[in-house]
Amino acid sequence: MASRPTVTIIGADGKATGATEVLPKVFSAPIRPDIVKHVHTGMAKNKRQPYSVSEKAGHQTSAESWGTGRAVARIPRVSGGGTHRAGQAAFGNMCRSGRMFAPTKIWRKWHVKVNQGQKRFATASALAASAVAPLLMARGHQVATVPEVPLVIDSAAFGPAEKTSIALGLLKAVGAGADVEKAKASKKLRAGKGKLRGRRHRQRRGPLVVYSAETDGKDLVKGFRNIPGVETCPVDALNLLQLAPGGHLGRFIVWTSSAIKELDSVYDSKKGFFLPSNVVSQSDLTRLINSSEIQSVLRAPKGEARTKRGAVQKKNPLKNKQVLLRQNPYAATYAKEGLGSQKASEGKPKTLPEAFKKLLDE
Amino acid sequence: MSSNVSADLIWEISRNTNSYLVKRTHGGAPQFSRDPLNLVNLNSRKNAGFVNDKAVGIAPGEKGSVVVTSKKSGSITKPSAVSTVTYGANKTTRKTYKNVASQVGKSGYRPDLLQAAVARASAVRASQRPAKPDQEKKLRGNAAKRAAQA
Repeated sequence: MASRPTVTIIGADGKATGATEVLPKVFSAPIRPDIVKHVHTGMAKNKRQPYSVSEKAGHQTSAESWGTGRAVARIPRVSGGGTHRAGQAAFGNMCRSGRMFAPTKIWRKWHVKVNQGQKRFATASALAASAVAPLLMARGHQVATVPEVPLVIDSAAFGPAEKTSIALGLLKAVGAGADVEKAKASKKLRAGKGKLRGRRHRQRRGPLVVYSAETDGKDLVKGFRNIPGVETCPVDALNLLQLAPGGHLGRFIVWTSSAIKELDSVYDSKKGFFLPSNVVSQSDLTRLINSSEIQSVLRAPKGEARTKRGAVQKKNPLKNKQVLLRQNPYAATYAKEGLGSQKASEGKPKTLPEAFKKLLDE
Repeated sequence: MSSNVSADLIWEISRNTNSYLVKRTHGGAPQFSRDPLNLVNLNSRKNAGFVNDKAVGIAPGEKGSVVVTSKKSGSITKPSAVSTVTYGANKTTRKTYKNVASQVGKSGYRPDLLQAAVARASAVRASQRPAKPDQEKKLRGNAAKRAAQA
């Protein structure tokens, strides 16, 4: 087997420590945005709280229809008198103060079951995408200063990261500062009623710090939890909602070195799950087409090699004889036999007879 | 990088949703790109700088110079692997274009982007020239002339 790709481990100062780690197998999983999107749509629905309008809304009146013969619609009308409400239509969804059409119920189907195999496939796919810098850029992460993705930082650097200032300094040192700044500056007031419902602000997601709960401990969570946009996640509980927010691939992940070491064993321990493999092992179309295997079985192109002359100067056939001959091969004979000057060689036209002139002048 | 990723795959994933994409609903609904490594600012496979293994970006520099950014090989895992060259501070545009052309096209880096690169360098240089002051408006008609004299 060819040597497997490795990843550099970066120290607290942002420089390579010299140590490398073999890239876990999950990073060569197929990148499938369709599966990730589908699984994300289902999973995102599983944290919802039921809501509905009041059961009684629009029905807290003793309205009765007036029946026919009163020259008004047969909709139920509020009984009694002495108030403006009396005689007004009620209950219907078209009525003022009526109930809504098909009132929402708390027993709506809020949750979606997503198969475990699909969830694992999607997670693997999202992890593989997190190692592709162009996909991180396409998601909007500011990774221009990041030396390498996946970004693996020596676990020793996370020791003192219990303090937020040190944790932030670490992110800045390894080139993730721009992404943190972007997330921080992006905080905006949400449009609409969501403001009143516990979703006051919206902001971009920054880097996701993945650690090993066993080796790194959970102290670093405290250091990172107050940095806007930055999230933390233990390596044995990776969550698709964090790995592909909005169903879009390419979350910027900062790994601790022990987390990336543990990743292979995390997938080995999943019983009955095998990492998905690529159907096509070479996804570069140009290399496929130019490969000797393909080129050797292609037939030679038919016809001669001819370049179509595009914007060449147009030549005047009246002045350029070759161009004239190309358009009109008869022109050669025409000129040779002097067909154009036949009349001229006949000499001057004869003068009219005197008698004819007289006839004309009459 | 392992062979599960290629520029073709990245393009198919990100052609409709990427952070650089600017969609307009009017004027024929063009799709523009804010990618700094995109020479013509259009969202297309050829010009998408973040997708291609080799890409060129041209931006204005100081003193009328032009900064050419290009991706180095292996940039799919190393996002900071770009090289930056500055051409033509206080030099003629002709020299600048020649340098840009030889870096982008003639060396075989991205010959298909040569024309676009020179065109962008030219546009950058044009934008660096000081703007001409507006011409003074001529007085039209006798009434205006009399009003100006008074």
